[in-house]
Amino acid sequence: MCVRFEAPNVTEMNDWIAIGALALVGVLIPFGMMTVSYLLRPTVPETSKRATYESGEIPTGGTRIRFNIQYYMVALLFVVFDIETVLLFPWAVAYQDALAADIPLARALGPMLAFVAILLVGLAWAWRTGAVQWARTPRQLDADRP
Amino acid sequence: MTGTTVAATDAASGLPAVPLQDTVLLPERIGELTGLDGFGLGGELLATFLAAFLIGNLMLAMTGVAGPWAKRKITAAFTDRIAVNRLGPAGLFIIVADSVRLLSKELIIPENADRPAYDLAPIVVAASALLGFAVIPMGSGLHLADPEVGLAYVFAVSGIASLGLVMAGYASANKYSLLGGLRAVAQNIAYEIPLVITGMSVVIFAGTLQMGEIVAAQHETLVEIAGISIPTWYAFVNPFAFVLFLVANFAEVGRNPFDTPEAPTEIVAGYQTEYSSVHFVLIYLGEFLHIFLGGAIIATIFLGGPAGPVLPGIVWFIIKIWAVFFATQWLRSAVPRVRIDQLIEIGWKGLLVLSFANLILTAVIVGLIA
Repeated sequence: MCVRFEAPNVTEMNDWIAIGALALVGVLIPFGMMTVSYLLRPTVPETSKRATYESGEIPTGGTRIRFNIQYYMVALLFVVFDIETVLLFPWAVAYQDALAADIPLARALGPMLAFVAILLVGLAWAWRTGAVQWARTPRQLDADRP
Repeated sequence: MTGTTVAATDAASGLPAVPLQDTVLLPERIGELTGLDGFGLGGELLATFLAAFLIGNLMLAMTGVAGPWAKRKITAAFTDRIAVNRLGPAGLFIIVADSVRLLSKELIIPENADRPAYDLAPIVVAASALLGFAVIPMGSGLHLADPEVGLAYVFAVSGIASLGLVMAGYASANKYSLLGGLRAVAQNIAYEIPLVITGMSVVIFAGTLQMGEIVAAQHETLVEIAGISIPTWYAFVNPFAFVLFLVANFAEVGRNPFDTPEAPTEIVAGYQTEYSSVHFVLIYLGEFLHIFLGGAIIATIFLGGPAGPVLPGIVWFIIKIWAVFFATQWLRSAVPRVRIDQLIEIGWKGLLVLSFANLILTAVIVGLIA
């Protein structure tokens, strides 16, 4: 199942130089477009042209406001699960090799199942407490109260 | 074709019997072709830069065709209209006309905008998408780099885009933009995990994160039906994972039915409401690049990368990523948008649980077969 071929005839370092070169290109192209546009476009200053767009009304209030705390819970949950995925990647890479080396299934699979199970308990808790819901209105919050 | 393992083609199926994996990556190939490799480190760096420039412009050319032309034509076909047809054959020259038009528009910056962030956001969005293509094997020798962490790298750099979107939303000092930016980041973090977990079920089969080897592992014959051998593309091996990945990917790149961050009927244009001129072009371009990057990841880990009969690898690769692009446009015309609260619940309560089920089932089945 697992076919391996000769690694490409380049060192690891060259790969990252190439990626760095693409990063350079990825920044240079937008800068180039911005320069071209700067040379082409007109500038016609005009009163109230730069006003914040609020569907044609006179803008009221600011946008530098506080976010809902429930949004923070979702973000926190994401950090937990994202770290989990990073920790699972090495397992996924080594799994087939471990099985090929005659390591019993329970030993190759068991720890990962336990690890995922703990996190799924966490997800179940978050689900019950409503952390994985989008911010609720005060009326919905009242309805949830016992 | 020096330096490539050109495979003996299996006569019966037309599929290559041995993978067409490139043992020489693009920078080195260009170094050989131009003679730059004779100039030491400087020559090598220049060759690498040229290769990166080629890949970057190839992807830009594709978004150039997709954005002003293909998108209009596809939507028009679905809604029984004609769309652009005045300039050039089938209206193709609209691409040139539109790019000149958009670049020569006045740049209107809102009064309260946070200047450095407002200007940097479009660059972050466009560059993060472009960066992902570095590790994608596009066939015909177009493969810039093949680090061992390929798949994890692609997920990591494509995730940078949410930073750009939230920067755009916050720096515009517009309420619609702020809502759009927050929605974009909430959506990206909700669907990133199903995406990565489902990708991991492929890693279990391939046993590696290196993109070149994931493609190489998909060349065996799965079953043979009436003389046509079906390869072990992971879309055939594990169709459930393929569907999950496709759905999570549409949400990740913010396409219908998950395009709530820029829902025009709710929050004008979301994070790009206050953007005009070249800044808008770059955000728009970045979104298309992200659709194509999503298509490229799907093609690489589920559809055998550049593999396919008769035609050269790059052609198959382009066909596959355009198929994904076509799917996004099809959904755009056919599927209603979900609400933001539904979107979050589908992500956390539906896809996340399903992707874990898929991962565990895959691991158990692979373990029992082995």
